[in-house]
Amino acid sequence: MNTALKIFKKQAFYQILVLFGVLYLFIFNYIPMFGLIIAFKDYSPTQGVIGFFTSDWVGLKWIKEFYNEIYFWRIIRNTVIVSVLNLVFMFPIPIFFAILLNELKSAKFKKIVQTVSYLPHFISWVVVSGLIFVFLNVQNGLVNDFLVWSGITKDPVSFISDPKYYWWMVILSNIWKSMGWGAIIFLAAIAGIDQTLYEAAVMDGASRIQRIIYVTLPSIKSTIVIILILSLGSLFNGNFEQALLLGNSVNNSVSEILDTFTLKMGLAQGRFSYATAIGLFQSIISVALIYSSNYVVKRLTGMGLL
Amino acid sequence: MGSGFNKQTSASRPRKSGWLRRNKEDYFIDTFVYLFCTIVLIITLYPFYYCLVISFNEGKDAALGGILLWPRKFTLENYKIVFENKQLMQAFGITIARTVIGTVLSVAACALFAYGLALKDLLFKKVYISILVFAMFFSGGIIPYFLLLQYLHLMNTFWVYIIPNLIGAFTVILMMSFFRELPQELKEAAKIDGASEFRIFYQIMMPLSKPVLAAVALFVGVGHWNSWFDSAYFVFDRDLRTASHLLMELINKANMTSMAAGMDQREVLESEKNFTSETIRMATMIVIVTPIVCVYPFLQKYFVKGMMIGSIKG
Repeated sequence: MNTALKIFKKQAFYQILVLFGVLYLFIFNYIPMFGLIIAFKDYSPTQGVIGFFTSDWVGLKWIKEFYNEIYFWRIIRNTVIVSVLNLVFMFPIPIFFAILLNELKSAKFKKIVQTVSYLPHFISWVVVSGLIFVFLNVQNGLVNDFLVWSGITKDPVSFISDPKYYWWMVILSNIWKSMGWGAIIFLAAIAGIDQTLYEAAVMDGASRIQRIIYVTLPSIKSTIVIILILSLGSLFNGNFEQALLLGNSVNNSVSEILDTFTLKMGLAQGRFSYATAIGLFQSIISVALIYSSNYVVKRLTGMGLL
Repeated sequence: MGSGFNKQTSASRPRKSGWLRRNKEDYFIDTFVYLFCTIVLIITLYPFYYCLVISFNEGKDAALGGILLWPRKFTLENYKIVFENKQLMQAFGITIARTVIGTVLSVAACALFAYGLALKDLLFKKVYISILVFAMFFSGGIIPYFLLLQYLHLMNTFWVYIIPNLIGAFTVILMMSFFRELPQELKEAAKIDGASEFRIFYQIMMPLSKPVLAAVALFVGVGHWNSWFDSAYFVFDRDLRTASHLLMELINKANMTSMAAGMDQREVLESEKNFTSETIRMATMIVIVTPIVCVYPFLQKYFVKGMMIGSIKG
């Protein structure tokens, strides 16, 4: 005990720094976590943070109410579809892109493509939604101009408001925004591959495609697994900013996801307990997904994160 | 295809297929790879280029369509309006202020926290790290967070942009893993010379950590520069709006009117001015995007390394 105190004193400078950090995390991360209990309470905003603890328990009232919401299944469906589409496209495409970049022979061109491909990651969804609207606009949108000019469609298509096109818009803009950034980690993994493996493969007469399939891919397997688990874990988090910015009153039937619904109920309508319950519901499913996907991947490949 | 084929022998990494003569398969793959990458380049850059072109074109003329590669009626009018608009300039002022103050304070706070955590045999280290990692994976969600900000009286103040964003768990982990790799002997030597702990941190360890500080400053800075959500939901004072938030409002307004059947068109035809809401929007977008475009390529080697550390240890 005494020695612990001695060590602590010796480390005082470091301990104070860390304790300040922990205090900050406690206030801005952990207090809101405690706040989740209002999902089971009848909380009113006049009660402040103290009300997290003092308000009356109502059990599962809000969860039940959400389940009985007319749009319950629609919101769940939208969240799941957007997430699954994101996973199906956003997981393999960066791997594909990284492998392609690695096959580029001109180092200069490779560098240019890489640098440019990171750009959309740094651009906000606000600007991206602005670009989407400019290009897909019914009047004067370049895409519509082209479709009408080339005779593919007779009239301009209302991409932005027609629910039919919403998911396409979401996926394509997501690919556009994150393909290059997503490839960074795989590029790093590929750069770390032992070059003698390739030499040996060439000696054995492997073609380029075979070298990709039998050397490159197996060598970055662990990176692929890690990223797969991470993206499975966020399966139930639709891209909230994107849904908020691309969604509108007309395509609401497909753009409303759990996050936007939580926001609408909580901040717009002031139903804090109800909105928290919906948020909690989503987090619980997310956590369950992280653990189960980790379990499945561990079973299949012998590797896991947790 | 493959113009760099012979020049590139000095590249740091030996090429894979250099030893063999190029066969049909090689030609096919090279063609495909170059084609694909060129398309990626065009698809990534063209939208920005198009904005740039439109923003330099007279509004009425742009509304006629058909502009693809070059402004048809060149004008600086759109930018003049953007830079003379009080609301927009106010919003840009707020954005610049939060980016500068927020980035400096956040990098400092995260560096101090991470520096503490990076001490080799820190007492209770495991506890601290679990607190940090748990905070990275779980959150109370938006509603309790909102209530907390309200309780702390941060709502509707400039500080709601700065204080809640000071410390990010991922950033701290990133910095911590970097600090751990620094040569600890320097610390011992400086201590023997009588330097205080803070001086060691500030004058010896931080200058050695420039790469990670640069990467984190970029991530945090871009986050601040682009942010609109806190401005839209936690702040009601219209003078405190951020530029991205204002741009979002402009975009939404344009969208609503264009959905209400042809309003945009009428507005254009009736107006005597030679700018439209569209050309103004494009100019605003270009002003928002330009600083990012100018900064991130120079920090590329730092953030690429940062992402690698983060993905391996995070």
